[in-house]
Amino acid sequence: MSKYHNFMQRPLSRREMLGICKGGFGTLAFASLFGGLPLVGCDRPKKGLAASSDLYLGPHYLPKAKNVIFLYMDGGVSQVDSFDPKPRLAKENGEDPRKKFKVDNTQFDNVGKILKSPWDFKQYGECGMPVSELFPHIATCVDDLALIRSMTSNFPEHTNANYFLHTGSGIQGRPSMGSWMTYGLGSENKNIPGYVVLDGGLIPPGGLDNFKNGFLPASYQASVLRAGAEPVANIRPQESIQNLQEQKLGFIKQLDQNLIGKMGEVDAVESAISNYELAYKMQSSIPELTEFGAESEATKKLYGLDSDDPHTKGYASQCLLARRLVERGVRFIELTCPNVGADRWDQHSNLKQGHERNAHAVDQPIAGLLKDLKSRGLLEETLVVWTGEFGRTPFAQGSNGRDHNPSAFSMWMAGAGIKGGTIFGKTDDYGYRVIENEVTIHDLHATIMHLLGLNHEQLTFRFGGRDMRLTDVHGHVIKDILA
Amino acid sequence: MLFYGKRSFFRGLVFFFVVLHISCGDSKEFTEPLPETVDFNFHIKPILVQNCYLCHGPDVSSRKADLRLDVYEGATAELEEGGHAIVPGKPSKSLLVARINNVEEDMIMPPPDSNLKLTDREKALLEKWIDQGAEWKEHWAFIKPTTDLATNDKLAIDNLINEQLAKKGLEKSAVADKNVLIRRVAYLLTGLPPSPTDVESFITDNSKDAYEKMVDRYLNSPAYGERWARHWMDLVRYAETKGHEFDYTITGAWKYRDYLIRAFNEDLPYDQLLKEHLAGDLMQKKRYDAASGNPESPLGTAFYAMGEGTHSPVDIRQDEADRIDNMIDVTSKTFQGLTVSCAKCHDHKFDPISAADYYAFYGIMESTRFSPVPADLSREDEKTVKTVNDLKTYMSQLVADKWSEGLKASEKEALAQNTAVAEESATDYQVLGDFRNADFGGWVSDGLAFGQETTLGNPLVDKATGRLMGLDEGRASSKTFGAGVFGVLRSPDFVLNTDFIGVKARGKNSLVRIVIDNFQLIQNPIYGNIQQKVGESEWNNYKLKVGPWKGHKAYIEILPGEYNRHDYILPEDAYVEAEYVIAYDSLWPKEIRHKIPKGTLTANSNKPLALSSKLVKSLNGKLKKGQLPDRIPELKTALDSSLNLEKSLVNTSFFYGVNDGFAINSPIFNRGSYQEPSEEKIPRRFLSALPLGDVPFKSKGSGRLELAEAMLHKDNPLTSRVMVNRIWHHLFGKGIVETVDNFGLQGKLPSHPKLLDYLAVKFQDDGWSIKKMIRHIVTSEVFKRSAVRSDALAEKDPINIYLASFPVRRLESEAIRDALLVVSGSMDSTLYGPPIKTHLTEFMQGRGRPNKSGPLDGAGRRSIYQEVRRNFLEPMMVTFDRPIPFSTFGKRNVTNVPSQSLIIMNDPFVVQQAERMAKQLLAQKELTFDQKIEWIYMRTFSRKPSAEELAKAATFIEVLRGMENQSEEEGLDKETNIWKDYCHSIFNLKEFIYLI
Repeated sequence: MSKYHNFMQRPLSRREMLGICKGGFGTLAFASLFGGLPLVGCDRPKKGLAASSDLYLGPHYLPKAKNVIFLYMDGGVSQVDSFDPKPRLAKENGEDPRKKFKVDNTQFDNVGKILKSPWDFKQYGECGMPVSELFPHIATCVDDLALIRSMTSNFPEHTNANYFLHTGSGIQGRPSMGSWMTYGLGSENKNIPGYVVLDGGLIPPGGLDNFKNGFLPASYQASVLRAGAEPVANIRPQESIQNLQEQKLGFIKQLDQNLIGKMGEVDAVESAISNYELAYKMQSSIPELTEFGAESEATKKLYGLDSDDPHTKGYASQCLLARRLVERGVRFIELTCPNVGADRWDQHSNLKQGHERNAHAVDQPIAGLLKDLKSRGLLEETLVVWTGEFGRTPFAQGSNGRDHNPSAFSMWMAGAGIKGGTIFGKTDDYGYRVIENEVTIHDLHATIMHLLGLNHEQLTFRFGGRDMRLTDVHGHVIKDILA
Repeated sequence: MLFYGKRSFFRGLVFFFVVLHISCGDSKEFTEPLPETVDFNFHIKPILVQNCYLCHGPDVSSRKADLRLDVYEGATAELEEGGHAIVPGKPSKSLLVARINNVEEDMIMPPPDSNLKLTDREKALLEKWIDQGAEWKEHWAFIKPTTDLATNDKLAIDNLINEQLAKKGLEKSAVADKNVLIRRVAYLLTGLPPSPTDVESFITDNSKDAYEKMVDRYLNSPAYGERWARHWMDLVRYAETKGHEFDYTITGAWKYRDYLIRAFNEDLPYDQLLKEHLAGDLMQKKRYDAASGNPESPLGTAFYAMGEGTHSPVDIRQDEADRIDNMIDVTSKTFQGLTVSCAKCHDHKFDPISAADYYAFYGIMESTRFSPVPADLSREDEKTVKTVNDLKTYMSQLVADKWSEGLKASEKEALAQNTAVAEESATDYQVLGDFRNADFGGWVSDGLAFGQETTLGNPLVDKATGRLMGLDEGRASSKTFGAGVFGVLRSPDFVLNTDFIGVKARGKNSLVRIVIDNFQLIQNPIYGNIQQKVGESEWNNYKLKVGPWKGHKAYIEILPGEYNRHDYILPEDAYVEAEYVIAYDSLWPKEIRHKIPKGTLTANSNKPLALSSKLVKSLNGKLKKGQLPDRIPELKTALDSSLNLEKSLVNTSFFYGVNDGFAINSPIFNRGSYQEPSEEKIPRRFLSALPLGDVPFKSKGSGRLELAEAMLHKDNPLTSRVMVNRIWHHLFGKGIVETVDNFGLQGKLPSHPKLLDYLAVKFQDDGWSIKKMIRHIVTSEVFKRSAVRSDALAEKDPINIYLASFPVRRLESEAIRDALLVVSGSMDSTLYGPPIKTHLTEFMQGRGRPNKSGPLDGAGRRSIYQEVRRNFLEPMMVTFDRPIPFSTFGKRNVTNVPSQSLIIMNDPFVVQQAERMAKQLLAQKELTFDQKIEWIYMRTFSRKPSAEELAKAATFIEVLRGMENQSEEEGLDKETNIWKDYCHSIFNLKEFIYLI
């Protein structure tokens, strides 16, 4: 058995394996080595995981998806301007919304008139899904998308809503979904972290805590990858002389082995020694990732790497990087938004300009990613998730913006296990509230986990006297959008 | 788990067991004799929980055959089928015994389809326990600790540990050598490596008490407080910013950190530390720092205010509920090792903590108000206040004496008019506070600024001439002791029911605020209109729009000073005065009727001029007409002294802590939702399962002092146990109860219950002295054992539960970073002070990012002095497992990941330290090669290198030299480079970051 069967985990020592199997729950990790066998009849351990926190657990049942690419539309895309057309807004443009329906408190409390969408919608694909002019490229992929128009969030503020979307709780400090996924499944590549955030320029409000491990061990926090000479912190050797680092590492290893000889078997120290080998390999495997030399011109063009818009170009390289990470078995990849100079998707004013600039930056690269994944057969095992933290109001904030709306928004998923061309859920005539098949953030999490072969009720971690879950005590898998 | 031989759900998967050649070890376990007395908590309950409770436990919905084994009454009741599951004292008549021993598939318990099976030992334990009378006991942690050992017995720890070792047949490791010991003690007591001189002197000290002397030296080092304060900071989610979107500063958080360092260094008794945390602001006898004279006790309360802070939440009530939940969580875990927060939505699933208990706590927190608190109100100041007050009384008395005849006459007139103004009920406004009379009408004055009464009747004396100008009319004034003095005038809680609140006020650099649902981060969007700046010396009507929050609980604050991005500051000219506060809709009312209390107040010794406002007006009229004397020579002298003294009362240093509000009893929120409150309100009280838990608090405020007293009650079974266990945890890397923050039923059982109880009793007997407890533990032989383990030990006690050897552990993030600074010679050991700004890398992005990065080496200061910004946590700290500050973490995770290796391999900070160390080394010209290596080894490993290590070093240095010579690189001189690379390699050795 390879000693390092997955990357960010502490390898099991013989003794630990023994201890764990005696307790009962190591068998799952072990079984998962057999390559995703459906674990029929295996109950998940309910207690005591905290004690063996560094294990990854393996799926509960046969997974559809191996990896997740999470395209985070930070700030909240307007649903009525993108995927949920509402002709009534045009009809009642300029009228007082309070005379039409009950208006909730909003973040800025500056409620204007009903505001029609500045963009036209057209139907696309065999399924005929309507998409606005904002996303002409994504529109060509609609037969691969399952669109949910009935998303809700619990929070109308960015930070809480970001934490909620990322961690299942509106409060700072809980583990991010990427941390949960790697805790549950580990990574398939020992030379690259299992949970990677590609920082496109804008870290969402709430900061890096959106990607942290919370009470899970620090091994499950995201590694932030940035464009540039040093894509990951401390990945670049400080030695300027060739082979100097290797010489040093050799010396270190020698003396470390002496220590082991002196101490007897000490698992922790042994693992710390092994980590150096992994760290050393990461130094070359990570920079290699960002080298696009081997990619064909056609591929680059597909993503929009040749675009005149520097933001399109930037996001294109993030999307291409995401595909390369998927190819290398990275479990969970999140892309943050580029800084297009008109803020994130958070258009409290100047909706038209702001949404157009954001859309222009991401539309072609995302479509390129979907097509590229598909042509390589990777879409079958990769789940692509596109969402903001909430939607926007159908009435104006001031004259030409839209405020936050947690009562309805649209998101889509594509790829592994997803029934393409689906539209699920329904909002009222204004796109203000969900009226049919509400999908909560917990439901979204449950569904993502389900596709990865994880039962959201069974992946738990003991903290503060409770068996904590990503979905807390909520969440239902949305079966209707599954293939 | 291993040690109670629990059965696994996976027993069916025999396949894996075979593959891995794992014996389940039943037979081995059985070779250990059964305990003399079988204890319900330690021997029986684990068996029942694991094997029986699913169908015969507390949960009615899954219970089978109407049999429950979790309570005596249930287990001994007559069964449906006749007979009794358990007949105490009679195993042969107990059907449970028959069923567990039955061989028939449909009769045996647990049933085969459960995949559960009792071992022979478990069966024997159950039988013996029934034979001994089948005694059910309360959860072990709720039974008061007792010990029959003398608490001054120096060998008690060793005896208790060795007793277990003997029972398990484990052979203990020898005592470690002196180099190892001093390194261990230095790191665990101070978080720093010992200096080579200290190592030398300890090695050469052959006196009998050399070890004890060495321990005492480290216990008395100021670095001790820094180390142990940091342990404590993990419990209280210490941070210097509020996180959320913009990561606002928490005013003066670092003053709490310094308070902790001082407290640990002074060995503040733990009971006092606890009390100051829970109610330091309410203690009758405050503690002051001997050096500065500043108050210590209130600083403890800063821990309440260390939580996350949300600005502009749309649901402000939910925000309060979340904040309070976090406060309950942290308070209950930290001090009682209980997870009270689990009872937020329903009674605790496992512990005897009810939802009512949670909401009793909730009321305590809800009645507590956040506030800036002056950190510089010294004992001297308290004396000055008294003197100034006496002078003011004296001045009033002078006037009262001089005017006695005129006063009497005026009073008579007033009485004749029957002074009460007929009460007219205003329809267009409500008066929330009227300060034109003598008192504040139920408002509270926190801090000094507003004094205890309004200005009504105070003699107004001309500063230059000393002439009496009249008597002051009534208003609330923060200038009782001049401008720049801190204080807040706060209303009682009330329910908002109008569109506006109006305050007639004047002042400079001051504020009036409406605090709705205890929400403090008042700003736009949403909350911009519930705070107004008061900045004009003319009286003004300040209007605050509260309409959107009708139905919410609120209170009003009037205070000098301002918030700069929520960081409180008090300019020296800041003051505020107010006449009245009203609630109204639409337009400001034309006239606010002044309700004068009936009759006149009688003069007393404290307030010789206690007069109604009407009387004051009439007296001032008479004075003007020359009917009363205005020359009282003594007034000027008194005024001069008073003004002179007041100057010292200006406040400039603050921290964010708490003040007491008014008692609020909370309803239970059904399923944790404030939108579904129960009818009944739960009185504020302690946890019902613990002593004093059924006594409602009597305090008119929050009751935090009573809470502290309940926790410190002599019969409380947890307070002392939880703390000694934390101390043990920090010294051995593992608690006697491994789940240090959870002593409830879901927590782990203590590995050495007798030892825990002995320590808990001793701790109290020794006056809650943390230092004495540490000294007692580290001077035991158990602590001094070598970490080297025999194969036999590794086999029999793989996770070292029984401490036959000292547990190997990785150093904490702070200790690693601090050690780098020490060995490289760049440590600046200055104590205390504002935090060093966080060094920001390119990877640390997001809103609230500071404009400037701090220095790479943190100015050479210890890690505890580095800023803790919630949204910009230092990567090295987080990667080496410092917890993310959102809840109590008594026990850190210990991970082992390549990103840690990458930091020591490649982080510029580490490389910088290696270079500094090399330069230090080369500055000593006279050293031979061997001496150089020895110098490095003594600093980094507290020992001399072996001959082999010297040889390896020599070879390696030659390799480095060869590479360096070939290199064409410019920069450092080659010799420095060579030694830099050597030192850097040494930092990367496991021996450097492990305590062995």
